[in-house]
Amino acid sequence: MKKVITGDHAVALGAKLCRVDVVPAYPITPQTLIIEHIADFVNDGEMDAKFLTMESEHSVMSAAAAASAAGARVFTATSSQGLAFMYEMLYATAPLRLPIVMVNANRTLGGPPGIWCEHNDSMGVRDSGWLQVYVEDNQEALDMVIQSFRIAEDKRVLLPVMPCLDGFVLTHTVEPVDVPQQEDVDSFLPAFAPDIMLDPARPAMMGIFMPAEYIMELRRQTMGAVESAKKVIREINDEFARVFGRNYGGMIDTYMMEDAEVALVTMGTVTSTSREVVEELRKAGKKVGLVKLRFFRPFPSEDLRKALSGVSAVGVFDRSISYHGGGPAFNEIQSALYGMTVPVINHLAGIGGRDVTREQIIKMFEITIKAGNGEKVNPINWHNTRGETV
Amino acid sequence: MFEVRFHGRGGQGAVMAAQTLAEAAVIEGNYAVAFPFFGAERRGAPVLAFTRIDSKKIYSKTQIYSPDCVVVLDDSLLDTIDVVAGLKPGGSVVINSRDKPEDIDLGISVKTAVVDATSVALEILKAPITNTAILGAFARATGIIKLESLEEAIKRRFGEKLGEKIAERNSLAARTAYGKTVIGTSKGIKKLEPKKQWLPTYQELPAGGSLIEGKTDAGLIGPGSFIENKVSGWATFRPLRDREKCTMCLLCWFYCPEGTIVRISDRGDLMTNYDYCKGCGVCANECPVDAIKMVRARV
Repeated sequence: MKKVITGDHAVALGAKLCRVDVVPAYPITPQTLIIEHIADFVNDGEMDAKFLTMESEHSVMSAAAAASAAGARVFTATSSQGLAFMYEMLYATAPLRLPIVMVNANRTLGGPPGIWCEHNDSMGVRDSGWLQVYVEDNQEALDMVIQSFRIAEDKRVLLPVMPCLDGFVLTHTVEPVDVPQQEDVDSFLPAFAPDIMLDPARPAMMGIFMPAEYIMELRRQTMGAVESAKKVIREINDEFARVFGRNYGGMIDTYMMEDAEVALVTMGTVTSTSREVVEELRKAGKKVGLVKLRFFRPFPSEDLRKALSGVSAVGVFDRSISYHGGGPAFNEIQSALYGMTVPVINHLAGIGGRDVTREQIIKMFEITIKAGNGEKVNPINWHNTRGETV
Repeated sequence: MFEVRFHGRGGQGAVMAAQTLAEAAVIEGNYAVAFPFFGAERRGAPVLAFTRIDSKKIYSKTQIYSPDCVVVLDDSLLDTIDVVAGLKPGGSVVINSRDKPEDIDLGISVKTAVVDATSVALEILKAPITNTAILGAFARATGIIKLESLEEAIKRRFGEKLGEKIAERNSLAARTAYGKTVIGTSKGIKKLEPKKQWLPTYQELPAGGSLIEGKTDAGLIGPGSFIENKVSGWATFRPLRDREKCTMCLLCWFYCPEGTIVRISDRGDLMTNYDYCKGCGVCANECPVDAIKMVRARV
């Protein structure tokens, strides 16, 4: 059934379809619509979940951790400062292997205070052990809530997952979304059944103090879980495609990459606009292609090396800055492509919610094509930034 | 380079001893570092501290595995810990003990100095904090530092934190112990089995380190496994309750950090499970009617 709804509404419907047990909530723009929709569902008896209004985001994640440890399927959503306020508990939940799903509506992390789209909130927690997936439209937002629970609760993974959607560009934009049937979701996503949980009938110790004799093994184990998530993500992507007819490509998606000479790697909604730009440039005879970086954790190094093996230059879009020079995606991709001789060019744009236009994306391709032709270009380019020449 | 490993129990001042020894070495124109190793610390639990002394700057930031000297602040540790592990050939051991060196079995025959530091500390400091007394014995046994340097170091470190008076008493404790130290050779008969520890590989460790009740070759793990960790051996003192004075206010039951005081509801009485009493004295301190007295556990 197609509904014309916002990204936040799509996410809330996704959570409802997943039959979550507990939703600890705290409002923050631009995710507030998510928990408001869920509050309505619960109030109207459409959703059988415990809706907890907490006094802070730190408490939200604490409650989420406790509920998940007790065997509940837990969903919540946050954004920006709210995510930052959870920082401590994010680092507590992943190594404890609690499969919580939390949507982050990407928003500027102050200062300076701002409410518009930027990726530096979720990028700041990229080493917490949470898996992260960045979506490009409302359909993918809904579908990835469902897939995230499957990935998170897979015994080979058991990690929390954070689907990230661009604040306002998706959260407050309506577009048609195909809402899956409840019975299809039920058969795709079986009930959560952890091996060990907090149950008075069968006492367990979770989150216990650990000396140096154990923590290194626990970190290694968590790393192994993140690593094995790669295979699980691909499997679940394929199964989802079979059941629901929508294939997102797995860890990355590619567009017109078969014979591409130059590629742009994008995240989030800029991917969507870039699809049209690629078509336009192709019509003009330029052999360009697009790689959509969907999962940032686990980082799809192998998939990227494969997808980018034939190109003469790679452009990387970043919607956040890591203060050593370029953006986080640029850093990771340079590291992933180590040993390959292809030039990698960083394109910073859309920071602080500034609109990323087709013209800017064309510019990104033009600079990258120059690099591919052996011309000297800046490795890091701030697009549409006063005082910078691009 | 001269390396020292201190074995003590939380509260006996092993860390302060290691630091004071380093200070004394620096007073004599050497370079020295001292550092603790903390486990899941609480009063009475076995602790480690280390001191390295050299004539030039020390760069090594690792623990000490082959000490030149081992200092034991509490001889009850000898029952459970192989204190001479890694001791360098020709090394020595300094032990707080009432026994003669010849009567102490360390598993190897080695130069051993003993002093009854607990009695010295109780007499002079009025508390079983044995760190300064044992340092007096260390100075006497090893000759690595002079007694005067040690007393100066005690004055500086203790004076700064606890005042001149306490520093002087600690200085006296070191001097007294220095005079009472007996040097001999230990017995080398017993074979101390290394303590078994559950050390799973990262694949064997349950996801997230979450544990349910379980049994391994190294003993119980998970909820309830603490039943195997008897701590009665830690105690210098143990509490004795006077039933006549006791008003059953239950403050001792509430404050006991180990949960060893058990309420016997049918008799309206209390019982202390000495297996898990580490003799910290919190109960005696909290008792509003002085019904609990602390008495020496090992005489």
